[in-house]
This record gives sequence, C-alpha cells and structure tokens, in this order.
Amino acid sequence: MDYTNQKNPQNYSQMEDLKTLDLEESVSETIMRDLKMIAYKLKYVLIPKEQEDNGKELRNWDLWGPLIFCLALAMTLSFKADSTTNSSKSDVFAIIFVLIWVGAFVVTLNAQLLGGKVSFFQSVCLLGYCVFPINIEAIIIAFVGSYLPFVVKLIPVIICFAWSAYSSVGFMASLVPPHKKKLAVYPVFLFYLFLSWFSLIV
Amino acid sequence: MDFGIQNQTDEQQQANKEPSNQNGNEGNKKQTGCCAFLTVEFYTPYFNVTETDVLQRIQGTFLPLRPDFLNLIRGNPDLWGPIWINATLIFMITAIANLRQIDEEKENQSFVISYVPQATALLYIIAFGTPIVLAAVMKFLGVDLSFFQTICLYGYSMSTLLPITILCYFQNELFLWLIIAYGFANSSLFLIINLKEELDKLQIQKKYIIIGIVVTMQLSLYLFYKLVFFSYVKE
Repeated sequence: MDYTNQKNPQNYSQMEDLKTLDLEESVSETIMRDLKMIAYKLKYVLIPKEQEDNGKELRNWDLWGPLIFCLALAMTLSFKADSTTNSSKSDVFAIIFVLIWVGAFVVTLNAQLLGGKVSFFQSVCLLGYCVFPINIEAIIIAFVGSYLPFVVKLIPVIICFAWSAYSSVGFMASLVPPHKKKLAVYPVFLFYLFLSWFSLIV
Repeated sequence: MDFGIQNQTDEQQQANKEPSNQNGNEGNKKQTGCCAFLTVEFYTPYFNVTETDVLQRIQGTFLPLRPDFLNLIRGNPDLWGPIWINATLIFMITAIANLRQIDEEKENQSFVISYVPQATALLYIIAFGTPIVLAAVMKFLGVDLSFFQTICLYGYSMSTLLPITILCYFQNELFLWLIIAYGFANSSLFLIINLKEELDKLQIQKKYIIIGIVVTMQLSLYLFYKLVFFSYVKE
C-alpha cells in the first residue's frame, strides 16, 4: 500500500490511525512521519497564536524532540569548543547534556513541589522543545561569532533567550497557584539563561 | 453470605487501609512508610511560601544582628530558597568568572566552563551536607531544631554570596579579599546569632563545638570560593 499520496495529518489523533500500519511501510516514511510530528509540536509550542486550547496538545508528549535539540545543541557547542575554551570537547558535551536533562527534571520537580498538578513528562517535553531557539542562536554564533565583537553577539542571544522563556513561561505559570507563580517561573528563566550563556561563551 | 468470604474481606479491608494512607494526596498529611522521603508529597509542605516571603527572608540575611530569621521560619521552613539561591550562585560564578577573562585583544578567547560541576558540588554539599550533619550533631547534643529548619537557615545564609559574586568581577586582589572577609563575617554572624537562642540552653563546651563546626565550614567555603573561582588576575 502506498501512503506517499496521503494528505498530511491535521493533528496527532489522525497520525495515530496510521501507526497500525507501521511495519509495512519503509523506514524513510516512518522517520518522515516522526519528523513531521516533531515539527508540528515545535510550531505549536513556539508560535504563540497556534495555542488556542491552552496546551492540551501537549498531552501527547514525546521525548524525541527534546533529545534531538539537546544533542544538536551539545554537538554545536562542543565542535566549537576546541579552539575557544580550556576544556575538552567531551567536557562541553557532557556539561550541556547533563545541564539540559537535569535542569528540565529539577524545574519540573520544582513546579510539582509548589503544588502544580502536571504530568512530569509533559513538562519536560515542553521545556525540551523550547530549547530550539537556543539551538538557533548557538548555530548563528558558531558560524559568525568570531567576526563579531562581544556586544553584537549579545543581540541574537537576548532575542532567542526571550523567545524560549516567553514560550515556556505561559505554560509553567498556569500550573501553580497564583501566589506562587514567580517561584515556578524563576527557575525556567534561570535554566534558559544558563543555556544562552553557554552558547554565547563557547 | 458465606462467613469465610466475609472474614477475608475484613482482613483485606484492613490490609488496604495502610496503602491508602500512604497514597493520600493531601499536602498536609505526613507520609508513613519506610521510603516516604523519596516521594514528592513528603516535601510539598516545605514549599509553602510566596515570593514576598522569600524576598523577606533573603533581606533578613543581610542584617545578621537582628535575630528575626529563626522566628520567621520556625513555623514554615522552606526548601525553595536553599535550592534556587545555590542554583543562581552557580550561574553567577560561571558568568562572572568568564567575564573576568574577557580580553579584547586576544584572537582566540578561551573561557573556562569547568566551574559548573565544581561549583555545583561545592555549593550543594555545603548548603545541604553541612546542615544535615549539624542538625544530627545538635540533636545528639540536645538542641530542638529540625533538619529542615537548619537546611533553610544554611541555604538562606548563602544569599550573602550573591552580591559578593557580582563584586568579584573587579580585578583588585585587596578588594576581593576584603569582600570575601566581609562575606565570611556576615554569614557566620548570621548563623551564630540565629542559633544562639537555641545554643544558650546548652553547656559551654557543647555550644563551642557547634559554633566551631559552623565557623570552620563557612571559612572553608569562602576560602575555596576565592582561591578556586576568582584567583585569576589579568596581567
């Protein structure tokens, strides 16, 4: 059976129907479908006007997206690391990788401890997808950073950091009771600030 | 109804009561069971603060001569402060140490990033390890202070390091030693004055043991801070 002419699924539940025929399709189709799903979620998370239903789409969490962005960021920064830092490439890779996953874990745990009732992986998924702007700025700085003075490099860093923070803050703030909002939001802020700082420095 | 089955259901009901007590989702109920401290619900009562509370507590640490802090937190020790003040410090140490290394003339700027794991280990061991050990020693010597109150006290005493880290940006060695000394004095005073009320109930030798532990750990923290993180000076 040939699925290449099918219309693109409009939402995740339509994609579910296709899953039963996984074993009969080629590997490239499976991968393309997963990539389309990641791209769909990414658009949903990062472009505010797509979110009309207050994050319900995030119930279909997945960790592939966050893993891809985490690996991309860690690899970008470690490729550049050799010439610009005293640490080796593997140090940089390890620090970034651990920082992203442990950071997402701790920020989610913090929201839960403050009384937020959210599924753990839903929140880790969101935080992982919002790392994408940091990826963009890391790539920009990796390619043109050596020609620019420090102050000019700050501009894309600040824009991408603001984008990441703004995308995830709405979701995190809605999880906790109103008088604890800032306590839940500040760690998210710190998390993306840390990652932005690394993409600037390395 | 068969009596055999009824007896079984009674026993089953009693057996079911215990797990349902453990699975109670109220934030106010204390958990029972051997591994209760591994659940999220065990720690929820310690995050019962608002942002104004946290700011008030941090302000309290900068004025060590007024022993209000322990009264502020006695009923409601929180863990949010200790965890996130230390996380902020880790970021600041990395950022300020890197900013000190900026040298516009060098072509290939090299920044150190190995401070992240070092700072994490140092700060979290001192901010959480020391109060746990101290609270155990104090309980052994008869002081009535819970683990969480000590952790809260120690965690907030780290907030003295926040402005100090920012000031460590400057390159002047004498200035750095001065502010490190000020930080050490401030946080040690803060800890000792707040513990004083509890410690006065003890004999002299026991009091000095505890004061000795506190001062030694603070001294090692501040020395480590200065010698490892901020000793690089541009020529």
